[in-house]
Amino acid sequence: MRFGRVSKAVGAAAVTMLVLSGCTAAPGPVSTSASASGAVSGGTAVVAETNAFNSFNPNTGTGSADINSKIAYATHTGFNYIDDKLNIVKNEKFGKYEKISDNPLTIRYTINDGVKWSDGAPVDANDLMLAWAAQSGYYNDATMDKEGNVLAGNHYFEFGGDTAGLAMTELPEIGDNGRSLTLKYTKPFADWEVAFGSPVDVPAHAVAQKAGLKDAAALSSLLKTVPKGNPDEPVTPNADLRKVAEYWNTGFDTKTMPTDTSVFLSNGPYIVTGIVPDQSLTLSRNTDYKWGPAASLDSITVRFIADASAQVAALKNQEADIIAPQPAADSAVQLKAMAGQGVSFNQFDQLSYDHLDLNFTGVFADQNVREAFLKTVPRQDLVNKIIQKLDAGAKPLESQVFLPAQPKYADSIKNNGSAAFVDVDIEGAKRLLNGATPTVRIMYSKANSNRADAFTLIKDAAAKAGFNVVDGGLGADWNTHLGDGSYDAAIFGWNSPGVGVSQIPQLFRSGSVSNYNKFSNADADKLMDQLIVTDDMGKQADLLIQLDKIIWSSDYGLPLFQPPGVVAYSSAVTGIKPMAGQTGVWWNYWQWARK
Amino acid sequence: MVTYLVRRVSAAVLILLGASFVVYLLTAASGDPLQELRSSTSANRPQLIAQRTELLHLNVPAPLRYFIWLRGAAGCLVPFAGSCDLGKNLQGQPVTEQLGTAMVQTLSLVSAAALLAVVIGVTLGIVTALRRHSALDYGVTFLAFLFFSLPVFWAAVLLKEYGAIGFNNFLSSPRIPAAAVLLIAAVVCAVAALGAGGGVRRRMVAGGSAGAATAAVLTYVSAADWFSAPGLGPVAIALSGAGAAFGFTALTAGLHNTRALYAAFAAAATGVASYFAVQGLLDRATPLMIMLLAAATILAAVLIGFLLGGDDRRGNITAASLTGLLVGLVILIDRFMQAWPAYFSDSRIHGRPIATIGAATPGLEGDLWVTGLDRMTHLLLPTAALVLISIASYTRYARSSMLDVMNMDYVRTARAKGLPEFTVVLRHAFRNALMPLTTIAAVDIGGLIGGAVITESVFSYRGMGSMFVDGLRQVDPNPVMAFFVVVAITALACNLLADLVYAALDPRVKVGA
Repeated sequence: MRFGRVSKAVGAAAVTMLVLSGCTAAPGPVSTSASASGAVSGGTAVVAETNAFNSFNPNTGTGSADINSKIAYATHTGFNYIDDKLNIVKNEKFGKYEKISDNPLTIRYTINDGVKWSDGAPVDANDLMLAWAAQSGYYNDATMDKEGNVLAGNHYFEFGGDTAGLAMTELPEIGDNGRSLTLKYTKPFADWEVAFGSPVDVPAHAVAQKAGLKDAAALSSLLKTVPKGNPDEPVTPNADLRKVAEYWNTGFDTKTMPTDTSVFLSNGPYIVTGIVPDQSLTLSRNTDYKWGPAASLDSITVRFIADASAQVAALKNQEADIIAPQPAADSAVQLKAMAGQGVSFNQFDQLSYDHLDLNFTGVFADQNVREAFLKTVPRQDLVNKIIQKLDAGAKPLESQVFLPAQPKYADSIKNNGSAAFVDVDIEGAKRLLNGATPTVRIMYSKANSNRADAFTLIKDAAAKAGFNVVDGGLGADWNTHLGDGSYDAAIFGWNSPGVGVSQIPQLFRSGSVSNYNKFSNADADKLMDQLIVTDDMGKQADLLIQLDKIIWSSDYGLPLFQPPGVVAYSSAVTGIKPMAGQTGVWWNYWQWARK
Repeated sequence: MVTYLVRRVSAAVLILLGASFVVYLLTAASGDPLQELRSSTSANRPQLIAQRTELLHLNVPAPLRYFIWLRGAAGCLVPFAGSCDLGKNLQGQPVTEQLGTAMVQTLSLVSAAALLAVVIGVTLGIVTALRRHSALDYGVTFLAFLFFSLPVFWAAVLLKEYGAIGFNNFLSSPRIPAAAVLLIAAVVCAVAALGAGGGVRRRMVAGGSAGAATAAVLTYVSAADWFSAPGLGPVAIALSGAGAAFGFTALTAGLHNTRALYAAFAAAATGVASYFAVQGLLDRATPLMIMLLAAATILAAVLIGFLLGGDDRRGNITAASLTGLLVGLVILIDRFMQAWPAYFSDSRIHGRPIATIGAATPGLEGDLWVTGLDRMTHLLLPTAALVLISIASYTRYARSSMLDVMNMDYVRTARAKGLPEFTVVLRHAFRNALMPLTTIAAVDIGGLIGGAVITESVFSYRGMGSMFVDGLRQVDPNPVMAFFVVVAITALACNLLADLVYAALDPRVKVGA
């Protein structure tokens, strides 16, 4: 009766288990009611974002995804922010900055008393000092080859943004009892106002502690003692600074909620209180915060939804309150259909734009050929067929240096000569060609359907005037061919930052890295040299208007269109305004409210 | 057996090494990870390129880089050593970390879908086999192929529109109009009449009673506002217990075995009695406690089966345990239903429980039942989409396998010795018809883990599929490799497992050394 014995034992075990299960579970202190999640006074809103969060330091190369910058923007404050009209708005409750001198350009940043991190430590000049050290590349003495391999020397902070401005600064001075920082530029710099200090998003005291230093002041003294890097004479790397930089580079990268609170210190209206990797992130009110615009919502939940139509369905099912999906014709149609049913819907022009550039070499070295070709480009037709599916009111872009969102756009297009290219002029093109049938190879990305469509339309129109257009469309590696001379014209896109002017010489100055079509004009160069050292907005605009005219009259190429952006939100939330810049719809998150 | 295993495993390792080398080279050739940086306009472009070159060892030629990767991957073979290194993705995050979260997401999505697809697909397959060439057979075949050929993204859009948005609208005032009640009852009536088989009279009775029952239930549900505060109650639990007792006894021991039937009924009765006993306990439930209760259920069933004695104690025990577990499951479902009003009215749900995206409502707080409901409402649509598309193959395989078996000599023998048709189908034919399906199920689960790419994308699940696709799109080699390794290992392991299980189930098959 072996079976019997086993079964008896099993039976006895069953009784024990029953008792056991009663014992283990009964004292369990698990909350029984769902009332813990009851209503909250300021309410909450759910925002859908395309990319998933992965770093609390959006300044590094690896952490520079748009979503990390948006979270940093919601949890930190700075000296200014950029509004939906692309104006710089100062936040004097946080601190103030003033230009002390024009020559040399000297700016003093002062943070107000009482501004502090969420662990109680003050936000002060040490934080600014660290930000400057990282963003200026002051200590680097590395020499690199074209592929970016370090040949000699040392590279500390892996800053992912543009170092152009702060690279021209000297070692800053800390003053006012550690509350102010004075930056001195060796050369005048037009965009100084947006180059630094907004937001202040990396806590120096936390970095110092992680790098084994006593406190933030010790970190600042370290930064003062390490000499400026000189790539011609690389020195042994400073071990302490190496540790600081390494923590700055990688210590803030995480996809999960850190147990160490010093990783996600806040000095802004919200603080991160929960992360579900690749799914969602929760922002809750930072109760100490009073040095800037007051936020209305108690909490904001960010959900990461990559698929545009999934965002639309989520909005419709009230799982998301605010969405800004990648614009696609079908989701725009869906959103329009929902507009009456508790959903508001805005379209706006993005800061990126597609354009056609002609090489100033080869067949297009002759300005008549350039002009003839540009006369055949059916820009209105391109907009009608490509962009109006998304945005019925879209118009061709008429300026090479301004976007329609900028106030001087309208003034500039009146006299920049763009009027001559509004309508297709096949006869005029034929006259200029005088019987010639030049062969033109156009390069574009085949993967981008907008550009492939644009190519087809341009090809058909140019053929009417006698141009023999060759399809130079390329696959995913198209952009490695920019500027290599394998084509005569290119259709591609630029992203404009919307604020500042330092990107202009990058595109149009003789010999500049991103001047792929070898445009060179002495007058234009002179204007841009002036532009980059002019910080008066009015004078900048004057220079840009002159520049726009020179570029158009050189038959440089044509700006084509801006793909529209889309923002839609539930009528249960208010205060949402679309914005084309980097922060997008987040720019005024403190004004978001729940009805 | 051991020799066979060793041979199969070593072959699998060689296949894995060869395939991973080829895939690594293909991934490396698929694009340039530095491409987006080369076209960047920032002034420190060389440094950014240097960072990424160092991160991904791009200065080493791809065939050699494979061995750097392989050395890190080999560390994964050492358990708990923390030496597992599958490289980093473009954001500098270790791929092992990314893989961990992705696998959890995918497994939760795929396991329920696989189970449901097998259960529903096999049931439909068996029924259509028994009613071969009937209107029901043609209807089910038509629908199975229709769903099979539906593009999943389109099915997903339909599911979201009607299964989530439409159903949530319905839930805000859950009244079923009389016309809808009649329509649903008519459909159920037709299906039941077609499925019943036999003479016209039998069909009319089956169809009529099924239709009437459906109409009655729907009317009650609507009138009693059941959707606002759902529940089963002891009566429904007792009824399902009785049904389970009959069904499982018929399937395992046979209804002629009265001791087994008694055992099953005793288990069902104990279950219903414990329904009242465990309510207080369940209010403070933890996952561990549920598992312990399940273990206790089995042990109690074993006790009952043993005490009833007879010639076939094993039969008693199986029937009683399966019945007990089913009653336990029904009690759990009832408890989840009790939590529904609290979940429904939560401020983060605001009366729209069926979700279209993600795996959980962010920020939702509550006990096991509320969070469990939240998981279920999120899994509902993607699971339905996966089940719809994978049900067809199970239906077809089960149907043909059942037809094969029904023509076997031993089935004829069983009929000849006078067994009731019910016993012949369930005890003799059905169990044997399931065997070929083990192979298909094992391979299918391996495929599902890597194959839910589109479903994941439309429902915003960031699982294995999206890891793979994003990796390819961003020319990010390491996540692609991690995906490949996991899917390849799963496929190889599932194949091996299927062969072994088959040998264990079918005494005619021997695992050759």
